[in-house]
Amino acid sequence: MTRLASGLGAALALLLSGCMGTMPLPMGPLNSQLVQQGSHRDPSLSGPWLALIANRTGRDQVELVDVERQRPVPLPGLNRPDARPLSVGVDGTGERLAVVREVAGRTEVVLYRRGLLSTEIIPMAPAGVPRRAALRADGRELAVEVSRDGRVQVDLIQVP
Amino acid sequence: MTIRPASTTDPLAPRSCSLAIADRLKIVPVLLGLCWATQACAAPWQARRSAGPTGLLGQETDRQEPALSGNGQWLATLLLRDGRPSLLLQEQPSGRRVPLPNLRGLTPHRSPSLSWNGRYVALVVQQGPRRQAVVDDRASGRLHRIQLPMGLEPERLSLAPDGRRLAIATVVQGRPQVQLFDLSGVLEPDLPPAQGLRGPATPMETP
Repeated sequence: MTRLASGLGAALALLLSGCMGTMPLPMGPLNSQLVQQGSHRDPSLSGPWLALIANRTGRDQVELVDVERQRPVPLPGLNRPDARPLSVGVDGTGERLAVVREVAGRTEVVLYRRGLLSTEIIPMAPAGVPRRAALRADGRELAVEVSRDGRVQVDLIQVP
Repeated sequence: MTIRPASTTDPLAPRSCSLAIADRLKIVPVLLGLCWATQACAAPWQARRSAGPTGLLGQETDRQEPALSGNGQWLATLLLRDGRPSLLLQEQPSGRRVPLPNLRGLTPHRSPSLSWNGRYVALVVQQGPRRQAVVDDRASGRLHRIQLPMGLEPERLSLAPDGRRLAIATVVQGRPQVQLFDLSGVLEPDLPPAQGLRGPATPMETP
């Protein structure tokens, strides 16, 4: 029944796309869950993983959602009470998350490895202020937007 | 006492010297490799580089919002052209620019996202007075204009590397929200070569 509904939905989307632009199918149950849980921003989608910044109780924090199972995945040790996340990126295995965050007035990029429960600060060299980070889907490389010497540049950093 | 030429008094000297030079030359790549390996081990985050020049004469300006394709072959960034952020797609590491004619006239661009092989370029564009999410299919040349329900306008987006799903950040009644959309009936999957040969990808499990 679900497959039939999905097929009909896809057919309807294709029909409408011809005259109105592409009508994507909303992933209803998961979208409803997200709405009920509070506000969310800065999504990063890779494989079955959705990383985003959520604000449930007045405090921003990074969350990871397993889209296939439609449930959040714990990230122990990543969300510090004194840190405010600015951007997040996830790789296709959901193992690595790159987070730009503000801590005690400074901005830093960290790589969180879920399997190891480790959070490692990635040094900016030459020195600069990171603003946004994107992780390659295979997790091997990180692209960081950095404010440096009055310019905004992009550093490409190999993930060891 | 017989004084012999150096070459004869120490027959090995000149040969050993020439051998040493040759050996040193041979050893250089090995030493460089060792240095790289040692450095990589001692300082693992040192393997890095700048995204490099934009390739646009006189437009070495700020670069923002980087996005990498899943295979690392393509880098998308935004740079200011005529005062508006505009998408630049470059092959890596050569920096070769790739034109995106479908996106002309739709600036300012924001929030680019690339599929695994860089076939799809998803981003938010300006269409007249409204922002719109679009997916540019570089293989077919088609621009998919994503119509959001209830006339919502996208703030940011993220395309799954296989092109099957799209996450869009919007503002609903003053509250930032993220919504997910299924594009499997709209876009062909853009998969890594091995998965493309095997058929549809299966979700990767957590190690």
